[in-house]
Amino acid sequence: MSLASAVQAAPGVYEGAANAIAAVMLLLEFGMLRQALARDQVRLYAAQSALISVLAIVIAADRNLPDLYALAGLSAALKVVGVPLVLRRLLGGAVGDEETPGVAGSQTLTPATAVLAGIVLAAFGFFCFGALGIRGPGNGSTPATALAIAAAMMLVAFGLMIVRRDVASQAIGFFSLENAISLAALVVASGLPLILETAFLFDLLVAVVVFGMLIRVHRARAQSLSTTDLTRLRG
Amino acid sequence: MSVALPIPLIQLLQVLTVAVGAPAVTGVIAKVEARLQGRRGPRLLQPYYDLAKLFRKEALAPEGASWFFLAAPVIAVAAYLTVPLLIPVLTSYPLPLGYMGDILGGGFLLSLASFVVATAALETGSPYAQLGSSRAKTFSAITEPVVLFVVFTVALLTGTDLPYALAATVRSNAGQITRPAHLLASAALFMVILHETGRIPVETHTGTSEFGMIEEARAFEHSGPYFALLKWGSQLKQLILFTILSDVFLAPWGLAASQRIGAVALAIVALLAKATAVGCVVAVIDNSFAKLRLFKITEFVAGAFLLAVLGVFTLYLGGG
Repeated sequence: MSLASAVQAAPGVYEGAANAIAAVMLLLEFGMLRQALARDQVRLYAAQSALISVLAIVIAADRNLPDLYALAGLSAALKVVGVPLVLRRLLGGAVGDEETPGVAGSQTLTPATAVLAGIVLAAFGFFCFGALGIRGPGNGSTPATALAIAAAMMLVAFGLMIVRRDVASQAIGFFSLENAISLAALVVASGLPLILETAFLFDLLVAVVVFGMLIRVHRARAQSLSTTDLTRLRG
Repeated sequence: MSVALPIPLIQLLQVLTVAVGAPAVTGVIAKVEARLQGRRGPRLLQPYYDLAKLFRKEALAPEGASWFFLAAPVIAVAAYLTVPLLIPVLTSYPLPLGYMGDILGGGFLLSLASFVVATAALETGSPYAQLGSSRAKTFSAITEPVVLFVVFTVALLTGTDLPYALAATVRSNAGQITRPAHLLASAALFMVILHETGRIPVETHTGTSEFGMIEEARAFEHSGPYFALLKWGSQLKQLILFTILSDVFLAPWGLAASQRIGAVALAIVALLAKATAVGCVVAVIDNSFAKLRLFKITEFVAGAFLLAVLGVFTLYLGGG
């Protein structure tokens, strides 16, 4: 894209706000990538989920889609309150706020390197999706940018699951991957029937159950959440 | 109140406002910081008294130091006083010398000042001053990419890299303020400013432990008027950076749109108020975070870099 076409009128306030929210969600994803403690990661995940509810409200107001308000409420209840609560219970156990062994220090890269690697991944996702040139309803630019940000978020979430060697971070990476997919769905197909959107949300519940089982079983067997214990076979 | 000031006088006033106002802003920050910690704090005018005291003292130079050691503070202050000519300090319309240099030109002047101070510190042979200048150069090398990406964002937003053009673009409509590229670039610039002014989480401003010092340690061997110039220089740099943040990026309002004396006087007050507001935010950050360990500063800078890069990314797809 040439400089001349990049210099253009600013997007409208709604679009700007929607894009800014998407960008902040990507930043929170990076926060999860570099955060050492699972507790803080859960907090960031809750913040990210809250933002996607806010985005749903913004889009609902902008495009006049009342069922998105219901979706925003449902998604907030589930992802801002429900999932973090379950995760905290699973990680904290009975001891309360104490950190489970195996989470802190599970990074394979130093935080600064991880962020730089994340930037490379994000750039790849961003420009791949940007090249598709998808335009949404109302001829706005929201889908192109926010969709590309969603793609970047997915890749960074994958990166998070790859560079961390503990089950908790991998679970959080997977859940935030779902947030990225919700973001993409919201901006591209916001007019989807409510029942379908809700069905996507309940997919997340399945993932929570599976990861909950994984965390529980792994913790019971190895007394830690680190996946390095899984590299050896045991009879 | 309808007396029109001549343009050269307004241009001179830009420099004078920064030169005279800088210690006051530092005084306000110190006061706010002390209040937040439950202390009464120094007087607001304390930085002026400090400078006046130092200007009256005798100057000594370490044995073996060349003329450059004494010239460096003067060059640094001269560079700092040139920058206010290039940026919108009081007026929303560009002044004649405003196009003498762009954002990069201003950046070069700021790095020239920091370079001569670091070189003078190296001349002394004092281990702490050398430690400080070596660290300052290392970390300014890694913040440089962040500044560049902020400049790229400005260039993509306005098609130029002139500070006046960006301020005018931000003023033009509300959509410009909420666009993510602008917000991300402003946040990245704010992080760079925290780093450049030696604030928490990068450096303790009032610390006395040499091992944690970066910029502060460079002035150790200077004394008397030369030390005063260095102190004044860092206050000038702080106010210049705050001015760039508030008058170019965050709040380019309250600038004089005409040459009338009332408008210009109002702009002086507005500038100092805005700089004080930024200073209060900095003081709150100073009180709510711990200093990062030296090797964690790269993480802080990586965060700022991320913001600036994302700003450019979002612009490229046209939605920023």
